[in-house]
Amino acid sequence: MNINQVLFYVMGFTALASALIVAASKNLVRSVFMFFVTLFALAGLYVFALADFVAVTQIVIYVGGVLVLMLFAFMLSNKETLNSLQNKTGNKFIAINNMAALLAAGLFLVILVNAIIKARPDGIVWIQHAQRVNPPRTDNLGNIGVNLMTNYLLPFEVISIILMMALIGAVHLSRKEEHKL
Amino acid sequence: MNFYFTYILVALGLFGFAAVFALFGIYAERKVSAFIQDRLGPTETGKYGSLQTIADIIKLIQKELIVPSAADKILFVLAPFIIFVSVYMGFAALPWAPGLVPAKLNIGLFYIFAIVSVEALGILMAGWGSNNKYSLLGAMRSVAQIISYEIPAGFAIISVVMITQTLNLQDIATQQGVLSGESSRFLGFIDVGQAGGILAWNIFRAPHLIVAFAIYFIASLAESNRAPFDIPEAESELVSGFHTEYTGLGFAFVFLAEYSMMFLVSMLGVILFLGAWNTPLPNIGPAHLADYTTGTVWGIIWIVLKSLLLVGVQMWIRWTLPRFRVDQLMNLCWKVLTPLALLCMLISGVWRLWLM
Repeated sequence: MNINQVLFYVMGFTALASALIVAASKNLVRSVFMFFVTLFALAGLYVFALADFVAVTQIVIYVGGVLVLMLFAFMLSNKETLNSLQNKTGNKFIAINNMAALLAAGLFLVILVNAIIKARPDGIVWIQHAQRVNPPRTDNLGNIGVNLMTNYLLPFEVISIILMMALIGAVHLSRKEEHKL
Repeated sequence: MNFYFTYILVALGLFGFAAVFALFGIYAERKVSAFIQDRLGPTETGKYGSLQTIADIIKLIQKELIVPSAADKILFVLAPFIIFVSVYMGFAALPWAPGLVPAKLNIGLFYIFAIVSVEALGILMAGWGSNNKYSLLGAMRSVAQIISYEIPAGFAIISVVMITQTLNLQDIATQQGVLSGESSRFLGFIDVGQAGGILAWNIFRAPHLIVAFAIYFIASLAESNRAPFDIPEAESELVSGFHTEYTGLGFAFVFLAEYSMMFLVSMLGVILFLGAWNTPLPNIGPAHLADYTTGTVWGIIWIVLKSLLLVGVQMWIRWTLPRFRVDQLMNLCWKVLTPLALLCMLISGVWRLWLM
């Protein structure tokens, strides 16, 4: 096992373990901070997939934006509300309330195991084709830019319009009411 | 295996540099503030008080790490290290001289921008973990300010990237001097590719970048929580903000992070706008000043000198201007800096299309 594989497994383990802690932790704020570890490990895994730009974007958007926003929501909300949220359910794992969730999780597990058993990652035709025609490159950035401006121009513009709508909405919501005469 | 040994050595070297810079940065700050306020500053320890900060750090290391009984212990203890590590990781992508860069990344600039934003999370961690209303208020203010000022700083950076067409910091540095090998135009008209020197710096290649540089510099003051943007630790209102409860080594790490951040943003500003490790002396006729003063050692000297100059300006501003109020701070960010930065970006696009 070379150092790359060791790093890969360390990051994969960190991502899974921290995600489990996020889901299981009783303390909401701590689980948000644990989510930060998950996101970092995921960013590391993206780097292994030669997607360094995606990795850094993930850190900017999720860590610098979404996580901070979540924490703001926690810190600005009332402590009693938070406590009632945290202690609402008992800690019975198998209960009649949880039946639907357990069923969904079990079915999803069946699908996942099935997919993993049946998948043959070495024999997929389009991946072999892509490896022949378009070998992995490191200049992702230029590639992404050119593709955004040519093949994916319409989705790109649609996203920008949605973001603009969100921005205008935010400005409208946070505006002070004018005094009516 | 030598490979990994070099990596560790480089990392340790950068940490050592950050620590030494913080030590003498604090000493310089005290002397500068003393000069501006017509005092003497530290005089007792060592010649001219030069050993004062070393004595201070020895005192801090010896002190007990006090964790408040109501604090969230894990978050409280981890926070200073996360704050420091996020700044320290930023140093990995900064070029020091031609061919001398710890990690040559294609997306170095974007990486630094991303990793520095992790600092906000560390600050929130410290504020929440302390379980103290002053800490929490300070952390909220600090994070609100950092996130807001990332926007004008980001636009100012983008207007540089549109001129340079790369996110690789080493390439951005090379373009601004005699080593670029391509023609670069002073003010967009006069070819100074051979002359180099101060004329080929980004702010003179495209003069609207002077405005972008001013925006970046102001925003960087806010991002490192320095006066006049130090409402997060406004002593008169909040004791000392998010690090109120820290003692000993935790406090030392918060300070180390602040001074490393000052150097990081200054160095990034130098790389983007002020010619990075390139010499300010141009080739004039037969006197090849630029060729003589370009090289590994010269590169390190120039970039450190320029960065220290910017750090000096940061200190000068801190002790000259009074503190902003919260609403003034946000007004400046959203109503002045952001539109100006957007304008700079627009001019950059036009400049790139028509003049380069």
